[in-house]
Amino acid sequence: MPTVTTRTVEQQAIKAGRKPGRRTDEVIAASVLSDGIYELVIRDPYVARTAEPAQFVNLYPSDARMVLPRPFGVAKIEGDDVTLIYQIVGAGTQEFSQLQAGDVVDVLGPLGKPFDVSKPANYVLVGGGLGVPPLLYAAQILNQRNDGSEVTSVFGYRDECFADDLVAPFADRTHSIVNAEGNVVDLLNDIEDELNNAGKQPIILSCGPTPMMKAVAAWASKRNIPAQFSLEARMGCGYGACVACVVDTPSGRLKVCKDGPVFTTEELGWEA
Amino acid sequence: MSEQTEQAEQMNVFEPHEWRHKTIVAGTEWKNLVGTASGTFQLDACGDYYDVSQMGAICTKGVSPVPWEGNPSPRTAESPSGMVNAVGLQNPGVDHYLIDELPRLKKLGAMVITNVAGHSDEDYTQVVEKLADSEADMLEINVSCPNVSHGGMSVGTDPVVLSRLIKHLRTLTDKPMIVKLSPNVTDIVQIAHAAVDAGADALSLINTLVGMRIDINTGKPIIANRTGGVSGPAIFPIALSFVWRVRQAIPDIPIIGIGGIDSGEKALEYLYAGANAVEVGAAALFDPTAPMRVARELDDLLDSRPELAAKLAKGQTW
Repeated sequence: MPTVTTRTVEQQAIKAGRKPGRRTDEVIAASVLSDGIYELVIRDPYVARTAEPAQFVNLYPSDARMVLPRPFGVAKIEGDDVTLIYQIVGAGTQEFSQLQAGDVVDVLGPLGKPFDVSKPANYVLVGGGLGVPPLLYAAQILNQRNDGSEVTSVFGYRDECFADDLVAPFADRTHSIVNAEGNVVDLLNDIEDELNNAGKQPIILSCGPTPMMKAVAAWASKRNIPAQFSLEARMGCGYGACVACVVDTPSGRLKVCKDGPVFTTEELGWEA
Repeated sequence: MSEQTEQAEQMNVFEPHEWRHKTIVAGTEWKNLVGTASGTFQLDACGDYYDVSQMGAICTKGVSPVPWEGNPSPRTAESPSGMVNAVGLQNPGVDHYLIDELPRLKKLGAMVITNVAGHSDEDYTQVVEKLADSEADMLEINVSCPNVSHGGMSVGTDPVVLSRLIKHLRTLTDKPMIVKLSPNVTDIVQIAHAAVDAGADALSLINTLVGMRIDINTGKPIIANRTGGVSGPAIFPIALSFVWRVRQAIPDIPIIGIGGIDSGEKALEYLYAGANAVEVGAAALFDPTAPMRVARELDDLLDSRPELAAKLAKGQTW
């Protein structure tokens, strides 16, 4: 396979008012981050230039028996390189875990509606498990834009704290907890005074297992803290065509991939 | 091919194209031979990736008389070289379609096949009555969706029920009426005859095959609806044989071939089996630009088959 020069094609797509379709990207690096958690770096100037926090990319297995894409939240961007962090959950992610620098992988994206981080605030990133990677990218973006926003990370892990070091350079305050010690809501209770005493109004950005996010929504709602949630779902196409990945909301069944993945507490009806 | 064009094709970014081969289906002229298959096209999603007016036809998602919320999640599961889905025709209803989606599609210059869904004869009647004076170019009567509890496939598998429905709908509209057939029958030829004899102007086949996947960790079906419709490359040879059988039995009805098409070559097989046009479905879910790519590949392949191309351009079948 040739090395793909994305930039020329990206320019053509923009000229035509279109997004580029599925394409082949080069793998720049692949490594194991911690037990069962993998990091993959692909070169994709279009994603690098346009992705916003909580947007995701589709990766496609090369094994033709696996037709559906696997969605991955963007975790970091450096130059034209896009970092993804994932866990093996099935045959598709198993295949990706074998990728090495110099290999190629098919990609589509960036996809989905991002977190709204337009206002200066104390962004409290509340993540659990593999919901952490999109929050890493939010931290990176918030840190870079220099508008007085603050970043507080509140991460919950099953056992190993695989992302604390990754978020630290971009965060004003980092907190984490592992399952044996409690959950992120316990942690939020512990640091509530600190959140109240920060220079800016808190806004929660959260991603992780649904029960965790519902608990975070209830916690935030009780304190009138605005919160946005990046949902995970079993997706078909990932770009809004198949209507497979819906979430029930007060305004009906919405597509997680296209109407989301980010929704507010109110949109989800999770205030209670 | 210039280096830049080569890169563009690798990236599936398509410049406007002068189509060289067209087809005629029930009196409607398609600028090329490829449409989007129902249930896999959403204007707000697919229109980001290609110019929808460049397609031969856009077949919409099923439109019902009132908004349908569809089935609960999960709605999809992967299967070998394919997928199983049970969306259940979630859609905002015909009134919304007439105010919103149809005008936008027509404004873009697309030729539109509106897919008509219902739970009952009354449902189909209401939708067809409302579409009769609309800008839709063709209607496709969806009597074959396996994922709705009433109507859908239960209509499309009984020739008597199907015949009664199509005869009735025929009285409501002069628009070209396509009937989309289910493969989940013992004898598709019998169903095809029933549809044609009742007044169908064309047939599209096939809809999805009933299938399921089970999560071996829980022992339970992956899809909330338990079963769903199988689509994708896995069904290609099956669908092709259905088209061929119906073409053998009914030489002069226009046929739109659907099932597992992800390349110009596979589309060409459908033409040789007797299809007048094809639609790309699941492949568009694995790459949004797939319908456009298939259309271009088929346009190229027909250059070296002038006799076939000439017949299709005149609307002739076998």
